[in-house]
Amino acid sequence: MFDPKIIDELKSIVGERHVLTSPEDLVAYSYDATFTSARPNLVVLPANTAEVSEILKMANREVIPVVTRGMGTGLSAGSIPFGGGMVLSLTRMDRLLDLDLDNMMATAEAGIITSELADAVARAGYFYPPDPTSDHYSTLGGNVACNAGGAHCLKYGITGHYVMALEVVLADGRIMRVGGKATKNVTGYDLVHLLVGSEGTLAVITEVTVRFIAAPETERTAQAIFPKLTDAGRAINGVLASGANPSLVEIMDETAIKSVEEYLHIGLPLDVEAILLMQTDGDAADAASGIETAAEICRQNGASEVRVADTPQESTEMWRARKAISGSLGRIRPNKLGEDVTVPHSAVPEMIVRIKEISTKWDLPIVIFGHAGDGNLHPNILFDKRDEEEFKRVKGAVGDLFRAAVEVGGSLSGEHGVGVLKLPYLEMALGPVAVEMQKRIKQAWDPNNILNPGKMLPEP
Amino acid sequence: MTTNKIETFTLNIGALAEELYLKCIRCGECLSVCPVYRETRIETLSPRGKVALYRAVGEDTLKVGDVYAGKFYTCLMCEACREVCPSGVELDVILNRVRADLAHSGLMPDSLQRLSETIVAAGNISDEDNEQRLGWTGNMKSTPVGFDHGGQAEVAYFVGCVSSLFPASYRIPQSLVETFEKAGVNYALIGGDERCCGYPLFLNGESERALEMARHNVEAVRATGATKVVMACPSCYHMWKHVYPELLDDGSADGLEILHETEMLAELARTGRLRFKPWPVTVTYHDSCDLGRKSGVYEAPRQVLRAIPELELVEMADHHENSLCCGGGGNLETYDRELVQALPRRRLKQAQDAEAQHIIVSCQQCKRTLLGAAQREKIRIRTLDLAEVVAGQLEGGDDV
Repeated sequence: MFDPKIIDELKSIVGERHVLTSPEDLVAYSYDATFTSARPNLVVLPANTAEVSEILKMANREVIPVVTRGMGTGLSAGSIPFGGGMVLSLTRMDRLLDLDLDNMMATAEAGIITSELADAVARAGYFYPPDPTSDHYSTLGGNVACNAGGAHCLKYGITGHYVMALEVVLADGRIMRVGGKATKNVTGYDLVHLLVGSEGTLAVITEVTVRFIAAPETERTAQAIFPKLTDAGRAINGVLASGANPSLVEIMDETAIKSVEEYLHIGLPLDVEAILLMQTDGDAADAASGIETAAEICRQNGASEVRVADTPQESTEMWRARKAISGSLGRIRPNKLGEDVTVPHSAVPEMIVRIKEISTKWDLPIVIFGHAGDGNLHPNILFDKRDEEEFKRVKGAVGDLFRAAVEVGGSLSGEHGVGVLKLPYLEMALGPVAVEMQKRIKQAWDPNNILNPGKMLPEP
Repeated sequence: MTTNKIETFTLNIGALAEELYLKCIRCGECLSVCPVYRETRIETLSPRGKVALYRAVGEDTLKVGDVYAGKFYTCLMCEACREVCPSGVELDVILNRVRADLAHSGLMPDSLQRLSETIVAAGNISDEDNEQRLGWTGNMKSTPVGFDHGGQAEVAYFVGCVSSLFPASYRIPQSLVETFEKAGVNYALIGGDERCCGYPLFLNGESERALEMARHNVEAVRATGATKVVMACPSCYHMWKHVYPELLDDGSADGLEILHETEMLAELARTGRLRFKPWPVTVTYHDSCDLGRKSGVYEAPRQVLRAIPELELVEMADHHENSLCCGGGGNLETYDRELVQALPRRRLKQAQDAEAQHIIVSCQQCKRTLLGAAQREKIRIRTLDLAEVVAGQLEGGDDV
């Protein structure tokens, strides 16, 4: 527990009600969406940037770890306070500050729920494309700190591609604004994009300005069923090389199909190896011809059935299955480890084959789904953490998974971040020189190592 | 003393607990729909947070005390989380078990304890003389014929505490009996013999006390000769339909057909026994949690509204299974009034966004909650119970 004087000081900054210290509160702020947990010493919920600044001045003075957290739905254990200290929850800072339709940019506090920002943009007739599956239950600040992706990234790019400016609080409490609304800016180092994906280790992001784009007139969806997984892999490459210009290409393997079907009962076939979901967008003619092209390529590559949705309702129904996968896995085993290895898209079929081999080798169910179009797969290892022997095998399988990804030319993480879970494999992926340079950056920004210590980089 | 309470609690939590809490994979999807979380943004009060607390006690890393109890009573029991949970976590089951354990260990918060004592002593939620349950008939044009059933009634109308005893809700039972009489329904009123359905006791974790209420009410209904029981209150309905059969395992509730006003009105409209005047308005329908998610009645009220000529029915952003609780559920109003006053704003905003002139509900508690909030927030939108709409828009009715 902290010195009572420190608790009093925090209360004087944010108000009595916004410092949580009960054992119940510490339990509730001990986890994210992974299987691990660790309790903080206290939780502080500031209302604005000035309060964040005061909190950090104090934390830096007292050398107290500060773990910044949005809604705690990360998938890398990045917001879990393993070393204790304080959790800095930004959920009260959730205002949309400005919707600038002339420049097509929105500014919001970091704690806004991403879908609320996207909905506000949509109501104005525009489109904010980054769409992590958790967009209804994750914050914009969290998305930026982890550089979250999503299904639309295939055509439209990831969160970082939309971030124009940030307001951050540095480890010593100073407030800094970086970036701006000018679409071209090469004045100085690109600090905006150093902070994007920095997982709370360099500064606390308090305000975000993102750009948005014109909304496509319409979307079309198709679903293709493949008896053979390798055929689906070939079809993906065919579709990407064609003029279909898909906005989304998602894959579900047989385990994912079974899991979802058991949950939703929507009539998915249980005797096939893969389902591809594809979407095109644009004006009506482009979207229609694109989806027909994609459908035809699937048929030529061994799809046993291809359906093109005629109505938005049909399309929503097709997507429901994909969106339900991650959550439905809890019905199979109590724990899951959802990875997000990303490989060149040409290597998707090979990576899937390798994952199957790893599943057999370690005798663990591994469900494969994900954004196949951009090579970002979500192999989910299902296990029961109470079974120690099984948990050992999980660790072995994860190592193999990351090695396989790197061997086929890919990366450990496409969109979840390093956090803690991928830390042991960082040097394998980046090499010692790059790790050393990153450590030096961390040292320059946070000399006392108070900001999310032990995450993303090996301890100094 | 306190130690003993805690030990009792820990003992009770053991069996089955693991399979209830291990289903939660902590994905966070429930955070997007929980009204309490959406308002407070405090993880400890979220569905996922509650499962984590339950688990921590199950794994013996957290001791149960007053703070713990408070978190488990800060819930509307709206079950929105259960609806979206991809892993099938039954938070309602967890909450019922924890609340029962807390109640038995003497850890129920004082305000809720007082509510329970009132219900047991007075037979109603507001500590009135139970004979005053007929107050709502006082200013009607004619005395309801439902008192003279002579033991030959077809349907018993179970009015419920709020409609019986809160003057602002009197118009609901008045409307319903007016409609029954126009449509020629052979109904009975139980009056002072009616007691609280027991739902608030059940929500507090006191099934044994709820059982006493159930026994009494079933007997009172049997005395009317009716084999059907109708109610306007979705909570009474849920209690009678789903909880009474479980509590009364002697089969004494068998053979009673339980109807909600919306089901009965829909049937009367379908068979041509209700004829409506045109009503050129745009309305939206608010699904109550006890009638919608917990009982699956979504279409009956909408069928009645669609039967009214020139009425346009629009849906709010959250509707049917995903309906957003008004904020009036789960006894939370008794426990945390300040929070409950903040909750309806989001729902009212949804009605405004849908450009509805009126919100139609079929629950006196939703009406109270939404009406009160609209007045406080100075939002010009009326909330009406479906019974009021029907009585007003019947041919020869006094308009809404």
